[in-house]
Amino acid sequence: MSEHDKIRELLPLAAADVLTSAEEKQVAEHLRSCIACSNELGAWRPIASELRRLPTPQPSSWLVQATLARAEAKLAEQAEHDWNRRVIIIVVAFAWLLTIASWPVFHFVSGRLGSLLDSQFSHTWISFAAFTALGWVAGGVAALMLAIRQRGERRLA
Amino acid sequence: MAVDADVVRLRRGDLNALSELITRYQNRLYRYLLRMVRQPAEAEDLFQQTWLRVVEKIRSFDASRNFDAWLFTLARNLAIDHLRRIRPQSLDEPLANSWLSETVATRTSSKDPTPLDRALAAERRTEISEAMAALPMTYREVLTLRFEDEMKIEEIAQVTAAPVSTVKSRLQRSLEQLRYALEVRYPGGTWQ
Repeated sequence: MSEHDKIRELLPLAAADVLTSAEEKQVAEHLRSCIACSNELGAWRPIASELRRLPTPQPSSWLVQATLARAEAKLAEQAEHDWNRRVIIIVVAFAWLLTIASWPVFHFVSGRLGSLLDSQFSHTWISFAAFTALGWVAGGVAALMLAIRQRGERRLA
Repeated sequence: MAVDADVVRLRRGDLNALSELITRYQNRLYRYLLRMVRQPAEAEDLFQQTWLRVVEKIRSFDASRNFDAWLFTLARNLAIDHLRRIRPQSLDEPLANSWLSETVATRTSSKDPTPLDRALAAERRTEISEAMAALPMTYREVLTLRFEDEMKIEEIAQVTAAPVSTVKSRLQRSLEQLRYALEVRYPGGTWQ
């Protein structure tokens, strides 16, 4: 490809003002001696100029208001979601703490009363463990059902 | 107030910050979406979806990035998904009959001084708008981002997730196609 052809390809980009400084220099030098390319650039300029002056379509005020309203609902939903998550984290942490703390207490109490409860000690221990596990499973199922219900309500809304 | 400050406030859930961002970007974003999908009703729907996506994703926005590019990338992804779903052929095919210019012309006002100038300028805009609307989506996109949004090539590359060299060649081809379309429609440069 000749120098002239290369420069000619750059002319639309020159009209769009996106040439590098090296390309700009190259084009400027060529244009000084090439009338055809000068004319060609002259044909590109009005196109670029008209494109820059195309009128901007305006969104309606209704659209902006509706967007804000929907975004507000979304923000509120996110805030509620964050709050729920924080509450669940705190409740779970507290429940674990309580469970862990209750074991030594239970052990201490059952040890002191061991003489009275000796024959039933292992039975009581297993019952306590089963009760704790049942409580956790019930809590988990309740949380799951609540989440499904909330999701359904949001979908309907 | 600066965009960065609004973004920080929006991350904390401040609705006023969102309102200010929407006000600041509403014309540019709507214009970009309209150029992409060409149907006002679809552009309006995508406009809403874009801002909802902003609210959803703002926490994952990297503050060191350019918010403009991030916003337009979200809008672009939604528009392309929409076009793929609704009219897959429209991503590549030019438009057969153009009506966009009518929509644009009816929604805007001119600042030209005399009635004759006003009429001629409106006619030129209509011609350019029609020719532009008939181009494939990637060409319309690069033209609107460069000439209407005045984005730099590097910013366009960010929005379109394409290398700078690709954006440049796309811009060159889009201008060539636009000029060709104008010359075919208005032989002898009568559109100028």
